[in-house]
Amino acid sequence: MNDLPVRYAGVEDSANRVPVSIVWEITLACDLACQHCGSRAGRRRRDELSTAEALDLIAQMAELGTRDVGLIGGEAYLRKDWLEIVAAVRAAGMECGLQSGGRNLNDDRLAKAAAAGLQGVGLSIDGLREVHDEVRGVPGSFDLALAALRGVRAHGMVATVNTQINTRSMPQLRELMDIIIEAGATNWQLAITVAMGNAADHPELLLQPWQLLELMPLLAELSLEGRERGLFLQPANNIGYFGPYETVLRNVIEDEIHWHGCNAGDTIFGIEADGTIKSCPGLPSPYAGGNIRDKSLREIWEHSEPLAFTRRRTVDDLWGYCRTCYYAEVCMAGCTWTSHALFGRPGNNPMCHYRALEMDKQGLRERLVKVKDAGGLPFDHGEFALVVEPAGTQMAAERVPDRILVNG
Amino acid sequence: MVEQGRVAPELRLCRGCRQFVRLDRADCFFCGGDLDALEADYEERLAAVQEAADALREAIAQRTTVAPGPPG
Repeated sequence: MNDLPVRYAGVEDSANRVPVSIVWEITLACDLACQHCGSRAGRRRRDELSTAEALDLIAQMAELGTRDVGLIGGEAYLRKDWLEIVAAVRAAGMECGLQSGGRNLNDDRLAKAAAAGLQGVGLSIDGLREVHDEVRGVPGSFDLALAALRGVRAHGMVATVNTQINTRSMPQLRELMDIIIEAGATNWQLAITVAMGNAADHPELLLQPWQLLELMPLLAELSLEGRERGLFLQPANNIGYFGPYETVLRNVIEDEIHWHGCNAGDTIFGIEADGTIKSCPGLPSPYAGGNIRDKSLREIWEHSEPLAFTRRRTVDDLWGYCRTCYYAEVCMAGCTWTSHALFGRPGNNPMCHYRALEMDKQGLRERLVKVKDAGGLPFDHGEFALVVEPAGTQMAAERVPDRILVNG
Repeated sequence: MVEQGRVAPELRLCRGCRQFVRLDRADCFFCGGDLDALEADYEERLAAVQEAADALREAIAQRTTVAPGPPG
């Protein structure tokens, strides 16, 4: 297991609740305008942490045993002291990476980041040029992200690409893989677009559950091909679960690695730019455990109730299909973020390959229909109804059919 | 005392159909195969592949060692 990246949590980490990996939104300021942005980033929060508060937080992370800190935004480099934060994370003995849209991640910034100790950069690229520029809201952003990717390699850092899978990008994944390999990417993290924030306002972007029947074999194929070509494909926690491709997609070194359920609040947590601590960076405020301006990080991590939901829940907390699933006890309904964004509560997740396959065996499929808009705030969500219909049904635009199984 | 985290139950990979299965049965929930027999067969084939790979690696190493330099 020594060859695994430090951000991978082992059984002992889970049992001892070591916050192995932290995702830290250091500012909500952003220079892109993405249609799927869950945090609706753009302007900085009014009360973002000061440099002194950020440095103190880093010391607290290290003291808790954190091994990996991923900086995100907004756009993290728009915070003036971001290099000081990188250097402090490294000085405290933790690994440090950056997730970026790359619009202004120019050579000068990359050189300074590498000098500060930044070890890797994940560039968000969401399709080929035309689709990426449209979804990311800035013409030219595809070429700038690709240039940044090359720059990351040139400065000796690990070059990762993050891609959102949605109705626009899914048909382009194969061609995109060729482009990012050519540009020097060695890791490709893929996540399904979640119906949160801006994405809730663009339901036409969201994949339907039955589209996993097409997506998962494609990802398995790309994963095997990518490995041959030096690209390591990493499915995010909202891609799964089980089914015939689980071992191809999930394994790092051994065949036997499989999905173990959402680990929000057990080995990972997220931080908002104002110091709010959440069990997962994508989850909304009900999952916030407190603010480091009010309590120490240790106190929040060890005693906060909202951070405890993954370790206390049982199969009885699941609902809909997930409650009766063969994998229920292990899977616990997959990604909490996905379920909550769709239905306003965790425990039932239709974005699941095994579930789609089981539906398909019965000649059925599930379809999500938006029935309530989101309010327009960061990390908010609308509400979706789940329609069960015969497989192969023609998409009936936004009409809500008579038979709706909101409770799955 | 700090509350312990959740440790999920482990599953087993069926070497017949490549699906993960629970540990409560000796046969695969999906393909019905005998899990232990399939595992033993897999281990045997894996050892054979490993042996062949080692032999190939050794043959390549020997050839590299004794190969003459490029012509001309």
